[in-house]
Amino acid sequence: MDWELMWDSLPKLLAALPVTLELVGGSLLLGAVVAFVTALLRLSGNRVAEILTTAYVFVFRGTPLLVQIFLIYYGLGQFEFVRDSVLWPFLREPMWCAILALTLNTGAYTSEILRGAILSVPLGQVEAARACGMSRALAFRRIVLPVAVRQMLPAYGNEVILMVKASSLASTITLLEVTGLARKIISQSFAVFEIFILAGAIYLLLNFLASRLIKYAEWRLTPYLRARA
Amino acid sequence: MHRHPPVSDTAPAAVVVEDLHKRFGELEVLKGVSLTAREGDVITLIGSSGSGKSTLLRCINMLEIPDDGRIVIGGEAIGLKKIRNGRVTVPADARQVERMRTRLGMVFQSFNLWTHMTILQNVIEAPVHVLGVPKAEAVDRARKLLDKVGILSKADSYPIQLSGGQQQRAAIARALAMQPKVMLFDEPTSALDPELVGEVLRVIRQLADEGSTMILVTHEMGFAREVASKVVFLHQGRIEEEGAPDKVLTNPDSDRVRQFLSRHLSGAA
Repeated sequence: MDWELMWDSLPKLLAALPVTLELVGGSLLLGAVVAFVTALLRLSGNRVAEILTTAYVFVFRGTPLLVQIFLIYYGLGQFEFVRDSVLWPFLREPMWCAILALTLNTGAYTSEILRGAILSVPLGQVEAARACGMSRALAFRRIVLPVAVRQMLPAYGNEVILMVKASSLASTITLLEVTGLARKIISQSFAVFEIFILAGAIYLLLNFLASRLIKYAEWRLTPYLRARA
Repeated sequence: MHRHPPVSDTAPAAVVVEDLHKRFGELEVLKGVSLTAREGDVITLIGSSGSGKSTLLRCINMLEIPDDGRIVIGGEAIGLKKIRNGRVTVPADARQVERMRTRLGMVFQSFNLWTHMTILQNVIEAPVHVLGVPKAEAVDRARKLLDKVGILSKADSYPIQLSGGQQQRAAIARALAMQPKVMLFDEPTSALDPELVGEVLRVIRQLADEGSTMILVTHEMGFAREVASKVVFLHQGRIEEEGAPDKVLTNPDSDRVRQFLSRHLSGAA
């Protein structure tokens, strides 16, 4: 083990942290929007919307993220209408392609987590809301969603952790996030073990913080569960 | 023993149900039920399980949509329309149903308090977000109601911290907070431990004494006799017998009611 090399490489690797955070943060944020819309459409009772969203979830959960990233980054540029479209300035950037793939991927998973949470809200609580004269929309906003979001947090915490790790796949399309930069440093220093240990430690730290954050949110949002004790 | 005074036949009708039919798939649960609750009436619906009494109550505030018949609340008929070639009945105007529900307070067997809110938040939720009552005013009123049902000290607790009896009293306060014209109770004490039944019945009796209009599904025959102005016995989706509690519960015309009472009065007071 070359401790000195590790110590010297740490600041270099940490310099890639903002890229990783952008990837994870951006795709989690956009993915939440996608998940919300998808879950609602899937529960809407509209046949067409249901079929489309079910197909989307099926495809993006059922195929490897790496394949999705390759298809978006290398595949789309092959079509002329894509190259001519207004989206091309985004789609030719590896950063946006990675965020798009991660967003669609986490959107599919999270929509299922949210859908399950919405369905698990006890019917009696919804009936009580409707019986007070709440509209469907108001009952959803005031009763169903708050309960569902609390319900989904533990499973969503898992999804966040998976996303932090999945962001490393962006290194395959030239992005110099933590893993990408680690590979670059290794190609110059040949210190495979040292540098990847460092990279792994950075992910471990990120996920430690992420899981703490989710735990805290859970704790803050469920005073009624704490109250039991 | 205390009795509910008879309600005059000329009192305005609060709820009118006309020839109500409700099917669940092949099963016809209500086969043409008509019922009038006048202002000040306390009507108790009794009958064996499966007789349709809860379904009837749930049809009144459209938690179940009847297939046929008419429901009139405070003189306004709820609009219904048929869709899918007449196979499915739905409300003609969702807004109207929502407006009607604000005038009907519903109390469920399983309380159905919103678990993520404190008791006080439960009580002010609908007044603030449905009726648009200013929050301070709603809180003020909620505290008075919680005091009335005897759980003001639990205002800032969560439902899970309360006993079943306390939860049901909170649910009654939540329904009363809308200042409904009619209160509907769907077996309000059936989910409670025997020693907690009394505290809930006391609250309901107090409301009856104050002249509230109520329709109540119950298995508590002694209580039904005490608070009801009218008892309605349902059997297989039809009204078998109805009338003053002293008549129906002590000297019914129908043998079925007689048999039912002999099963249910043996243990009860």
